[in-house]
Amino acid sequence: MIEAIRTQARNLLENKEVDVIIGYAEGSDSTRTTPVFIRKPEEVSRLIFDPRCINSLPLYLNKRHEYPQKGWKRTGIIAKGCDIRAITQLIAENQLTREEVYIIGVPCDGVVSHFSKWDGRLHDGNQATKCAECDVHTPTDCDFFPGERPEVDRSAPYKVSAPQVLNLMGLNTDKRFDYWRQEFDRCFKCYACREVCPHCSCNICITDRTQPNWVDQAAHTKGVFAWHITRAMHLVGRCTGCGECTRACPMDIQVDLFNQRLKDVVQESFGYKSGYSQDEKPPLITYKTDDSEDFIQ
Amino acid sequence: MKTATLQKSDIGKCLDLLIQSQKRVIAPQLRPRLDSPDAIDVLMLTPLENGDNHQVGQGILPLNGVKEFLFVKHEPILAFENKDNKVHIKEVHHKYPETIIFGVRPCDAASIASQNAVFSSDNAGYNDQFFTKRLENTTIVTYSCTTGDQSCFCTSVGLEPDSDRGSDLHLTELPDNTLHVEIKTPAGERVANILAPLLQGEGDQAARDTAGKEAHKNVSRIRNSHLIKAWLDDQSNFDDEMWERLGEKCIGCGACTFMCPTCHCFDIVDETRGSKGYRIKFWDSCQFDHFTLHSSGHNPRDKQYKRYRNRFTCKFKIYQDKFNAQGCVGCGRCIRDCPVNLDITEYMKEVDLKASLPNALRQDPDFE
Repeated sequence: MIEAIRTQARNLLENKEVDVIIGYAEGSDSTRTTPVFIRKPEEVSRLIFDPRCINSLPLYLNKRHEYPQKGWKRTGIIAKGCDIRAITQLIAENQLTREEVYIIGVPCDGVVSHFSKWDGRLHDGNQATKCAECDVHTPTDCDFFPGERPEVDRSAPYKVSAPQVLNLMGLNTDKRFDYWRQEFDRCFKCYACREVCPHCSCNICITDRTQPNWVDQAAHTKGVFAWHITRAMHLVGRCTGCGECTRACPMDIQVDLFNQRLKDVVQESFGYKSGYSQDEKPPLITYKTDDSEDFIQ
Repeated sequence: MKTATLQKSDIGKCLDLLIQSQKRVIAPQLRPRLDSPDAIDVLMLTPLENGDNHQVGQGILPLNGVKEFLFVKHEPILAFENKDNKVHIKEVHHKYPETIIFGVRPCDAASIASQNAVFSSDNAGYNDQFFTKRLENTTIVTYSCTTGDQSCFCTSVGLEPDSDRGSDLHLTELPDNTLHVEIKTPAGERVANILAPLLQGEGDQAARDTAGKEAHKNVSRIRNSHLIKAWLDDQSNFDDEMWERLGEKCIGCGACTFMCPTCHCFDIVDETRGSKGYRIKFWDSCQFDHFTLHSSGHNPRDKQYKRYRNRFTCKFKIYQDKFNAQGCVGCGRCIRDCPVNLDITEYMKEVDLKASLPNALRQDPDFE
């Protein structure tokens, strides 16, 4: 599989169809991989793909990362099914056009939930929970795919993938608040959850604005809650559930539980699943006269 | 130097004795969390209520270092109120409880001197009373490492897994499940006095040295850091191609800096509610895109790779030049917790290679 991908990558670079290929390379130790930018055909042998390739690379396609200023007219990208959903969402939000990206889809059986759990193979004990619910092991939309791509029915609604979402929703609000207060006590606002997110698109985040200072910058209870609630609300109907925010959190806070819950709410209220259509706009950034109004009492 | 022996199984009793003597005792504990298939076991330095369930000597490193107990994440430094058209400034009174941090790893203990160099040394030219008062009331009980993980690199920056720098009372695990106890300072002696009922005779110095040498062998990530400072001093390397090549993938979060035991940057902001408020000091990160943003809109570090260049330079040059202290203690947190596997030791390797090349080769345009 990887040989076919490397050959295609080499052809694309040699024929100047793309300026760069964003993919995965071996990391600095045996449990890790790292994002890599391949610009020369002779470097394609660095490309790899296996269950350690956790990162969601489409984040580098967000305009916030200034890829157009780098002179990338067309970007090749190695993408798992979930990454392609992120790309689809970026296109729906005008972060890039379909023509600007060349998607090299990869068949993916799942990735590990955390690099420290890698023991040489993927199994039930180390697979990320999102992968068990995944309906894009074979990706939806790509320009190149090594092998056959059978049609898959993807009309089923999202499932809540983390049991903690259900556990938390089963608690009363006071207890749920206590849970988050305890978890957020560790947050020091490094913003890894923001920076790793393919869909955080603002050039200047509202938390970084100081005139006026909308969100308290210090990592006290108020500042931390204000940030995480803002983050969750700004991603409503846009988050494609890659789980990178939780993985990136150095303090091991499961911040994506918010997003998973809101994913259900959006589906119940608007019947919308993010990352499946380049044309359909996320419900909270559009207005429709027949939108449900049952929240107005 | 006084030494003693302690049974490893008595650590819980030690913690109990210290808690009973009205000290705030902080030690590594497994963090409780809701069940999750994705869960990983996480050690955190936590204030204890009793000596049960401690994880002293277990695992590699707690997620948080001692930093957050000295240079805290956020604190008010003064209070103000606008009354009768006048601004009234009030001092804030923090509590500085007598604290014992038990089971600190040598890298974290060594980092305290680096923090102190910034917050109170003559080089810094200022005494941050919040930091120094906390430090005065804190006793550090270190616990030598027996091994390292794939990210540890203390031996590459002049430390050892059994170093006792920054330690008041130093514990080293011996193969017979006892601990070699070394009393390093008067504060350590006071702790030893409280623990006296559990301490036996003199320690076995030879066994302790052998254990340290064994541990040294288990730190596998080894880089040569001796040439880095001189290479960074050479200003022509400021625009070396390496910075952009290695740093391109950096996404600009502050995980490495906030996890780092020697990173010390902070910001100050006034938080006002109505007519009164607090001036708050809180952690900041040189990796943030607005860190050096001028009010004119100009930013001298306008690209992410330049921000990481600053971080690397801070660790291996600025710290030495400005504070005469060690910038990196090799704890590996910035490697473990980087979402994109940006690895400071890759920079170290690359710089070492560049610095050790003969000049003629370096100037050859065909050489890569």
